[in-house]
Amino acid sequence: MTALEGRTALVTGAAGGIGREVALLLGRLGANVVVNDPGVHLDGTGGSAGPAEEVAQAIVDEGGSAVADAGTVATPEGGAAMIQHGVDSFGRIDAVIHAAGILRDRMVFNMAKDEWDAVIAVHLAGYFHLVRPVSQLMRQQRFGRLIGFSSSSGLIGNSGQANYGAAKAGIAGMTRCLAADLGRYAVTSNAIAPTADTRMTQSVTESARSARAGSGIATLAPQPTRADPAHVAPMVAYLCTDQAWDINGCVFYVGAGKVSIAHEAQPLRSINKPYLHAPWEIAELAQLVPTELMRGLANPAPPVG
Amino acid sequence: MGALDGKVALVTGAGRGIGQAVAQLLGAEGARVVVNDPGVSTDGTGHDNGPAEQTANAIVAAGGEAQGNFDSVAEPEGGEAMVQQAVDAYGRLDILVNCAGILRDRMIFNMAQEEWDAVIAVHLHGHFHTIRPASLQMRAQRAGRIINFTSVSGLLGNIGQVNYGAAKAAIAGLTRVAARDVGRYGVTVNAVSPVAATRMTEGVPGGGSGRSEAPRSAFAGMREAEHVAPMIGYLASDEAWDINGQIFHVQGGRVSVAHQPVPEHTIFTPSPPWTLPELDDGVHYVLMRRRRNASPPPDDTEVPGRDTHTRKLS
Repeated sequence: MTALEGRTALVTGAAGGIGREVALLLGRLGANVVVNDPGVHLDGTGGSAGPAEEVAQAIVDEGGSAVADAGTVATPEGGAAMIQHGVDSFGRIDAVIHAAGILRDRMVFNMAKDEWDAVIAVHLAGYFHLVRPVSQLMRQQRFGRLIGFSSSSGLIGNSGQANYGAAKAGIAGMTRCLAADLGRYAVTSNAIAPTADTRMTQSVTESARSARAGSGIATLAPQPTRADPAHVAPMVAYLCTDQAWDINGCVFYVGAGKVSIAHEAQPLRSINKPYLHAPWEIAELAQLVPTELMRGLANPAPPVG
Repeated sequence: MGALDGKVALVTGAGRGIGQAVAQLLGAEGARVVVNDPGVSTDGTGHDNGPAEQTANAIVAAGGEAQGNFDSVAEPEGGEAMVQQAVDAYGRLDILVNCAGILRDRMIFNMAQEEWDAVIAVHLHGHFHTIRPASLQMRAQRAGRIINFTSVSGLLGNIGQVNYGAAKAAIAGLTRVAARDVGRYGVTVNAVSPVAATRMTEGVPGGGSGRSEAPRSAFAGMREAEHVAPMIGYLASDEAWDINGQIFHVQGGRVSVAHQPVPEHTIFTPSPPWTLPELDDGVHYVLMRRRRNASPPPDDTEVPGRDTHTRKLS
């Protein structure tokens, strides 16, 4: 029996990049795969069923089991429909991997409302549109794997990506809350912050460069990381296995042969004033925060001129 | 002479709770304050000008300068309007404090789309709706302070709050990115994760203490909110000019800087891709060594992998 035989996985954004590699690997490991991708451009416009069908066919050609789905996660109906598609095709859903994503980079002071909304809708709301219906199934099954995609853009911070960074940090927050809600039902929730060269990272560089150029800021030439999206897929597959039953609520950085667990946001250093004393004076904080709390923590974008 | 003499501040959700304490402190330190609050109930329904007016009146009664604003941050027009009101009334905007928030707690498998949407709209979209116009104004001024509100619910996780936790963690991400977008213009963006017993924490699983075991009874109501406010006052001051992109936990008399979610432990293979048995070893023995499942399945639930080992990884 292979590692994922009899399991059914839904992978969103599975026509390209990391999602495609995940779908192909899960298929090789014996899972039935719902290959979801609406076939849109990087900014979310357009649409074609062809890309998802191509990946589903590739899985079938290798002797696996897959169906293509061209729905969108950006609406509640779209999310519910692709979960139902998986249930109708294979009888259950054991894993949901939300790799779908779009980009609309812009400096925050110039970001249009629709650029903000479109990115939040696909990444963050899209994950809710999937986990809301599937969490009911997984709770009944007493088995499930939820794997969201986060990003260093939100966890660490990357200029020109207020929408994307917010959505990706939000997925990390969802991951932790889903773990708390569902862990007792033998459902785990984890997130991956990948490093890989895909069409998304090519555009990150290009769009961030143009955003900066529009603000009169020069940017260094793009740095190739030589990170193969296929190197992200094994950790996703591992989290789907039975062996990963007790890994819950974690965020992992994955890519280029490395897997790291992200530090939790607990206090790094503290200053204390006894509880029953008066509140802090601003002058006290002005003395202690820079010297005690901020030691070694640099301003990521200090004022210029 | 106050720490914020001559500054102009906008505080959202300033009718009650932490927002009220922040607005009053900023006013007492000399800032002119636009006190925003649509006066809704904790679930976002209703409307009442009273809370914002009361806070504004209290600032004026204490010798400060303030006016109320009753728009909702959940709409882009609301955010634009309150920033514009500050600029129209006082000529500029130096300080934006995003306190407004509502709650609709529910386990994920029972959460209605509307409960998700409402919480995301006020917290997450609400932050963007004020930050977008405020950052434009502050960039032009080459000075400004933006202080956002995040929560341990999103930073660490909390049961029954996937909407709130998603929004609050997203605000932490928005804070980190916006800090990098506007820092070079003399504007800072930071976030505070408060612990205080206010009407929002009533009925929340885990109470107002998040994961902390601090007894709530030791410090009731406004006293706790008053303990949170000084850190916001400090971050708003000129002296905090070089503090940018950070998350601070504030609880009672304790102020902490949050650990950044950088890699804590790492495993590496020189010949990727990983095999599943390699990952099984590395993840369990290195990455997860000091972690435990915060919500493990009970002993009487049969769990594949724990109770049965029918599948092999290779």
